Amino acid sequence: MSAPRIILTPLALAASAALVLAGCTATTEPALEPVSGGTLVYATGDAEPGCLDPHVGGNYPQALISTQYIESLVSQNSDGEIIPWLATEWTPSDDGLTWDFTLRDDVTFTDGTPFDAEAVKANIEHLKDPNTASSTGYLAVGKIDTIEAVEPNHVRFTLSAPDSALLESLSQPWVGIQSPTALERDQAANCENPVGTGPFVVAEWVKQQSITLERNENYNSAPEDAEHTGVALLDSLTWRFIPDAATRYAALQSGDVDVIDNAQPNNISSATSDPAIEELNAPRPGASNRIELNSGKAPFDDELVREAFIRAVDVSPGIESLFFGTAERSYSVLSSVEPAGTSAPDAFTTDPEAAKTLLDDAGWDTIDSDGYRTKDGERLSLVFPISTNQSIPAEQSLFEQIQASAKDVGFEVTLQPTDLSSWYGALFTNEYNLVSAPYTKVGADVLRILYHSDSIIPAPSGYYANLAQLSDPKLDQILTDASQTSDEAERQSLYAEAQSIIVDGFYVLPLYDQQNHYLYNTSVEGFRALPTVSAPTFYDAWLNN
Amino acid sequence: MTEILAGRLSHAPGAAPGVRGWRRILSNAGVIIALGILALILTAALAPQLITSAQPDAVSPAEAFQTPSGTHFFGTDESGRDVYTRVVFGAGNSLLIGIAATVVGLGLALVLGLLGGLGSRLGDFVSTRIVEVMFALPGLLLALVFIAITGPGVVTSTVAVGLSTAPGYARIIRSQLRSVRNAGYVEAATVLGHSRLRITLQHILPGALAPIFVLGTLGVGQAIVWASSLGFLGLGVAPPAAEWGAMLSSGRTYIDVAWWLTVFPGLAIVATAGSFTVLGRALNARARQEVGG
Amino acid sequence: MTDSSEIATEWRTPTPASRMRLLGWVARRVGGGAFVLWMVATVIFFALRLIPGDPIDAILGGPGSQASAEAVAQIRSDYGLDQPLIVQYFLAMSKLAVADFGTSYALKVAVAPYVLTQLWSTLVLTIASLVVAWAFALALTLATSGRGRAAHSVGSGLELLAAAVPHFWLASLLIILLSNTLHWLPPISVPGPLGLVLPVLTLALPLTGFLGQIMRESLSNAYEQPFVLSARARGESEWGVRFRHVLRHAALPGISLSGWAFGSLLSGAVVVETIFARPGLGRTLLSAVTIRDIPVVTAVALLSALIFILMTIATDAIDRIVDPRMKGVNAQ
Repeated sequence: MSAPRIILTPLALAASAALVLAGCTATTEPALEPVSGGTLVYATGDAEPGCLDPHVGGNYPQALISTQYIESLVSQNSDGEIIPWLATEWTPSDDGLTWDFTLRDDVTFTDGTPFDAEAVKANIEHLKDPNTASSTGYLAVGKIDTIEAVEPNHVRFTLSAPDSALLESLSQPWVGIQSPTALERDQAANCENPVGTGPFVVAEWVKQQSITLERNENYNSAPEDAEHTGVALLDSLTWRFIPDAATRYAALQSGDVDVIDNAQPNNISSATSDPAIEELNAPRPGASNRIELNSGKAPFDDELVREAFIRAVDVSPGIESLFFGTAERSYSVLSSVEPAGTSAPDAFTTDPEAAKTLLDDAGWDTIDSDGYRTKDGERLSLVFPISTNQSIPAEQSLFEQIQASAKDVGFEVTLQPTDLSSWYGALFTNEYNLVSAPYTKVGADVLRILYHSDSIIPAPSGYYANLAQLSDPKLDQILTDASQTSDEAERQSLYAEAQSIIVDGFYVLPLYDQQNHYLYNTSVEGFRALPTVSAPTFYDAWLNN
Repeated sequence: MTEILAGRLSHAPGAAPGVRGWRRILSNAGVIIALGILALILTAALAPQLITSAQPDAVSPAEAFQTPSGTHFFGTDESGRDVYTRVVFGAGNSLLIGIAATVVGLGLALVLGLLGGLGSRLGDFVSTRIVEVMFALPGLLLALVFIAITGPGVVTSTVAVGLSTAPGYARIIRSQLRSVRNAGYVEAATVLGHSRLRITLQHILPGALAPIFVLGTLGVGQAIVWASSLGFLGLGVAPPAAEWGAMLSSGRTYIDVAWWLTVFPGLAIVATAGSFTVLGRALNARARQEVGG
Repeated sequence: MTDSSEIATEWRTPTPASRMRLLGWVARRVGGGAFVLWMVATVIFFALRLIPGDPIDAILGGPGSQASAEAVAQIRSDYGLDQPLIVQYFLAMSKLAVADFGTSYALKVAVAPYVLTQLWSTLVLTIASLVVAWAFALALTLATSGRGRAAHSVGSGLELLAAAVPHFWLASLLIILLSNTLHWLPPISVPGPLGLVLPVLTLALPLTGFLGQIMRESLSNAYEQPFVLSARARGESEWGVRFRHVLRHAALPGISLSGWAFGSLLSGAVVVETIFARPGLGRTLLSAVTIRDIPVVTAVALLSALIFILMTIATDAIDRIVDPRMKGVNAQ
């Protein structure tokens, strides 16, 4: 009897151990049941919007918050495909000048007005109305000539020219659909609490402090890539403004705030070792974060000098150390979330000796007593205005490093950190040689906005987007063709060619994606960034306390 | 404000400390420490190469965020630059702005104060109103608007801080002048038949302006703190120049990974401002004692 | 500063003549105050227009605006920005005279109510800081003066250090110590008294340094006065001497300092409000100047000038009451 028992016992032990283990693995991660209720506190480091209606003006801080209460006709999934939202189907005509959209017929704005084709018409007209003073949305619907409400759930756009980027433009929050009744109020009233179809409603705005958003109890228009349907899980959102980065992170650590944006690299790095904090990395679409070389005036009107500058500065080690490894070096003009983006690492190799030779060839061969190159008595001087609102401290330090390595080759770089208004002032008066200006837009059509020669012509306010002042008829043609063709493959190859031209002309030095890191408390579940402009959406979010 | 710090000022002429006064000043341990610190700061400002061998803008990304050690006394910053060297070179900027701003403030105050204290009733009226308006405008607003107009930089910081401190000095100078005017020895001189000009130059001005030295000493410390605040708000000197306020500001961002970026520039500001205050108060106290005021 | 050695404690009964003098004094101060306000408004008007950039950018929601030429022209005429400068000046002054502060360029709301809400928040902060600073300074001074050199040096040294510390540095240190390490307080300004502690400490500690230095000086002078000796001879306890006789003399210069302190607290509030994410006039001013929101900057400037003037009148009045020798003396 003892022998079989001796054999049996270890077997039994092993068997029961296996059973226990199997049971353990089966129960270690039970499916988390979302819980309804609670208030989530979100702290943004971006500026407080002047107006909560994203039609007016149209900047990123507005997009961040309007995503909670205003929805667009279409959205985008994480693969970059356009998916239905308030519109269910769309059909362009063969010549691309007419677009028919089928709309949902079961959606109501939170003020009771029904969502229909008339509402869409009112919104597009609101965007195009000069009194609205829309910037981003206005550009997005620039080619829409007329809007016809054919039937309550069928709207037809007639365009002035084919627009292959129309759907991408319509997916943006700045072209969101608001209640036409609400739009009829005066602008100050609509800026206070715009009315949309979104999962939350603007309840109260205490200026300089916070905005309270409450759940929309009649919500039913979640995009198809959402995790659930029906109303939002959270009772309300508190939107706080904490411009100081160190304070913002401290507030997250102390639990006074649940989610923060604009997380600084060192905070992201410390958060990886903090079990209570998680990260969501959601690069913004459109262009990458890049330095543009002003080819519209000396010395960068000379391609040799542009190439010399790019060869002279080695930005990768600086990016690695200053961003604690949270930002990956980009070699593309476009954001990494853009499917049409191409990367060209070989075009941006660092070679200070080659840089010096290029400068010699360009005629900058004499060196003055301070170590800077001169030509005909003029010093090789570059002015680099920096917007302290847009460039985080790590980026400003990176620019200082660029200044230092450019000096080794003979460039004199003068950094000018200023506030946003003065920064724009320097750009409008063409008093810059280098500049870093982020541009967020869905789709590769951003290349046309940034590098078509039409974009050098200033708007009435003085603003122009083509800061590299790139004027190349061939590029212009490619970009125009790309914006008009409906053949996806042709579009891709045209954009690839456009990027080659931009890169080969040494107009741009890409640094990294537009950084957009969210840090949040582990108790927050279901939080994601909408793939369109990477704004946060709390529709699926709930608090696991 | 510095008028208050100065407490009661000497009303008598020739109030700078004499030889015995200086010896008495130096006998105070606190003053000796303060003088030592200031001597160090002055060396850092005028001849930084004597106390450091590195360069303040020697960028070296591989050496970023190193803790204080034997090679880097104060550690390195986000671009691998030696913080000790940057603090040393920053002394020049901070001291320059502090002293220059005080000079500007005192100069402006002199004009206003002389106008008020010596001039006619109209001159007094005008200058008092100007001083009141300058007082009423918040100092920061003046600084912000001025910097918005001219753009940030050393000169702008200097003028902005100087403008903010001028009204305080002007009030003191004016009240000094008025009280000296009514003093006994001035009356005596008038009775003796001296010309107004001679009275003014020989008696009134020296008596009234004597405390300026003390005021200035006290004021430099405050001006340095003020200027560092402007640097903190990003309105100071342009990079890569080392300036204590700007260093504190950029250091704050990394406070959870690199405490040394904020602590050492902050200590430098406190030590410098504090030393100037100690010195100023000692000078003032001894000057008053000497005259028995 | 007047010599405080002979303060009489009697009160004179008001006569019709002295009442007239008082009235005259008040009228002169109020008139002077109105004049200063007008000058401040004028200086601000022209100074803001010297800033490079088009005022219309702020109205358009930022310089990157794509607004069409018609929109720009329309807005320019709506806001009267196409008039000659001198016309704009008179229009602006006449509006201010009836307390019409207009609409914020950037926020599109009426300026007056908006600025007043921000003012409330800053007032809470500054008054609390002033009170705390007074309390700390009094405690420190009373505890360490008149007790020998060692205590005096310690107290004096602490005050000196406190006065030399920049606000933003102090804020960082306090956050690290009290929030990150000890977890006693939140690092941001949350509603309720807890969220006020760190901001108030940041503003109050340097002010404690200043106040303390002044009080210490006046206090040690007061101790040497004859009436203290007579009080002691009468058998008054040490604390009785301190509180009933000497305190008033220590407080006098502190009162006039408070007027100045209030103005400087407003400037310090900018840093504190930014770091602790507290709404307030300082932060509002900073962002308004940055985006060139002229109506808001004007309103904030006038408001702080008004407060300063009122505080000066108040402190002068208190001085007159507490120190009757000042009555009849031509105020400096």
